[in-house]
Amino acid sequence: MLAIKRVPTVVSVNQDCGSVSRDCLQSCFLTGFDLPLFKYTKKMKTTELQLLGDEEVPSSPPTIERSFLGTLLLSKWEERASQGLFRYDVTACESRVLSGNYGFIAQLNEGRHLKKRLTEFRVDQVLQEFDPKKFNFSKVNRNEVLFQFGEGEEAGYYDITPILSSPDFVLINVSPIEYGHVLLVPRLFDFVPQRLCANDLLLALYFTAEVDCPYFRVGYNSLGAFATINHLHFQAYYLAYPFPVECASITRINKGSLKSSLRISELVDYPVKGVVYESMDLNEIAISVASTCQELELRNIPFNLLICDCGTRVFLFPQQALHQVSQKVLDTQVNPAAWEIGGHIVLKRKEDYEHATEEFVTALLAEVSLSDPDFQDVKNIICK
Amino acid sequence: MKNHKLIVSQSLIRSYRASIQDELQKHAYNFVLCDPGLPDHPIVYASDGFLEMTGYSRDEVLGRNCRFLQGRDTDKRAIVEIREAIREERDCQIKILNYTKAGKPFWNLFHLAPVFSQQDGRVVHFVGVQLPISSKLAARKDGHLTGLELSFDELEFEEHFDNPSCKNYHLSEEDKQRAFAAVKAVLQELANSSCKGVSSMRSKSFSEGVIPPGFVATSLLLALTRIPHSFVLTDPHLPDMPIVHASLEFLELTGYTREEVIGRNCRFLQGPDTDLAPIEELRSSISEGQTCTVRILNYRKNKEPFWNSLHISPVRNSSGKVAYYAGIQVAVSHSSEEDEGRARMQQLGTLGAIKVAVRSIQTGAVLRKSKTIS
Repeated sequence: MLAIKRVPTVVSVNQDCGSVSRDCLQSCFLTGFDLPLFKYTKKMKTTELQLLGDEEVPSSPPTIERSFLGTLLLSKWEERASQGLFRYDVTACESRVLSGNYGFIAQLNEGRHLKKRLTEFRVDQVLQEFDPKKFNFSKVNRNEVLFQFGEGEEAGYYDITPILSSPDFVLINVSPIEYGHVLLVPRLFDFVPQRLCANDLLLALYFTAEVDCPYFRVGYNSLGAFATINHLHFQAYYLAYPFPVECASITRINKGSLKSSLRISELVDYPVKGVVYESMDLNEIAISVASTCQELELRNIPFNLLICDCGTRVFLFPQQALHQVSQKVLDTQVNPAAWEIGGHIVLKRKEDYEHATEEFVTALLAEVSLSDPDFQDVKNIICK
Repeated sequence: MKNHKLIVSQSLIRSYRASIQDELQKHAYNFVLCDPGLPDHPIVYASDGFLEMTGYSRDEVLGRNCRFLQGRDTDKRAIVEIREAIREERDCQIKILNYTKAGKPFWNLFHLAPVFSQQDGRVVHFVGVQLPISSKLAARKDGHLTGLELSFDELEFEEHFDNPSCKNYHLSEEDKQRAFAAVKAVLQELANSSCKGVSSMRSKSFSEGVIPPGFVATSLLLALTRIPHSFVLTDPHLPDMPIVHASLEFLELTGYTREEVIGRNCRFLQGPDTDLAPIEELRSSISEGQTCTVRILNYRKNKEPFWNSLHISPVRNSSGKVAYYAGIQVAVSHSSEEDEGRARMQQLGTLGAIKVAVRSIQTGAVLRKSKTIS
């Protein structure tokens, strides 16, 4: 068993306690309680998006429709913040851009990490069985649930509805990296472990598209790539600043075709090797990305995903399955997961923040990057 | 957005003399002016040359963001480069694949330049000059022509544009100089016609770190103008806590123009029948750095009263310290429970969006080395 030092964070206040609290989601589900519901519709997204450019182009004068889901999410989040449900005020955390080529964003966040380490599960196995004894999202406090997210014929919002039969939930992360940090948990009560399939990824893409904001990004970490909970979930937050990986040079690796607008490119000159999938068709991206990820899971290659540009751009970063992380890097207690690889680094110690440099971040990220031959194998999987 | 044409035309009148459109008309260049202070950074002026080059009519481009020029094969990297230059409020000259209205692609030497207000240092407009590059220059070493010469439904088409070597052909110095000259001429024209003084460069004192009060960086402005609700940002560090930003919806709600509200304390919205109790509650919350919601009678410019459900909150920037106090207004007429619920959601959602915007790292952060694409 690999003894790598991971630093988990607390995403729910109930994470530390052993017993199931009466207030937790599971109990409430059984007794029945009401939650707001946001219904999205698949019909809307595939017809509205046009093939011009990277965002939808209105053909009439620009009455820019801003997403209601975004407003809902932000308002519920702000409400929870005013109720003191977060462990700290993330807006009081300082951030700066590191000088250099990439523009990495460093944040000083002294409240985020636990003082003691929890080892929830093996970290050298990408696929692991769900263990109901460990913490999962049915054990979160009911206050941490913002709303249900579900599909319907028509888009709509319902203030108070009973919980759906197979609900997808949006929860808060009580140790936020940024404002609006939430967890998207597809079919929570199916108790699926952290593994990817096209439908669940598609849900995440619709979620991103429905929020309709270029500052809102969704991330996924497989086990072994710094996921902290083995219960299927995505994370998301707002950052009104470009992620360095979004600005990186790319070069196409898949063949173009008239039937498909899917472009798959590899990152050029970025500390971590990775690929990016781009298309206006969310279905196409979901199927292609999920198929690659399932292949990676079978080969025990951990990976991270970063969903950007309202769901039309998905980065995939495979990580080294077994790696030695240097002591210096361990001491900073930074886990190179989706956000970090994207270029947003949260630092726990003041001295690390003040002395952070691009060289330090580049070295940190390079530790998890695949070797050239291993990455070539991944590209072969993608392009076959 | 109501009356967007009016808003777009006001963008020019606000900064330049009325004759500016005629003055700009004299120049034969292809260029646009865009206003970062309006939602989605729209075009507020387009030259005849630009319209001819792209095949659009004036009505089809005014009020729209330039991204309609981009298409399927436009290099993402080039788009990112332009966005970065806008964020960082600096020049940028770049080769980018654009599309005409008919869908025909063409290589464009695009030059972007900010126009700074000498009064408060803000970027008033961005000038965008376009120079289409002829297909002769686009020839590859092996003699095959690319771009406009190919038929568009050939599978090869994509490969040509994706081929990295295709992007590295040389622009002539002459082309680059022409672009520079065009930008310079337009900027000069704007400076000559400006009411309060604009320039292609910031004032000396600004560059030395003396930031005028009420300065709002373009990157913050672009984020704030995405928020489609009535709100103001006030600066609690300045005397009498003046408004430094007001959303379009606020101006529409109250009937004032931007110039009539920026720099003033919000109390101008109060009037003869406004109760003292909510005013006192606001004052007390602000002095303690707290949030609060009050129901207060306010007055539009035309003296018409309206009930305002006002929510105020301190907002922090990337330093982690309080930079502004946000005030979010919801006009409430009938107070049903559902209305209150929706109003509350709008207020908190707007506050969240403001917090996200203000928290972002603004200009003044360390600049990235700009990557040139020749």
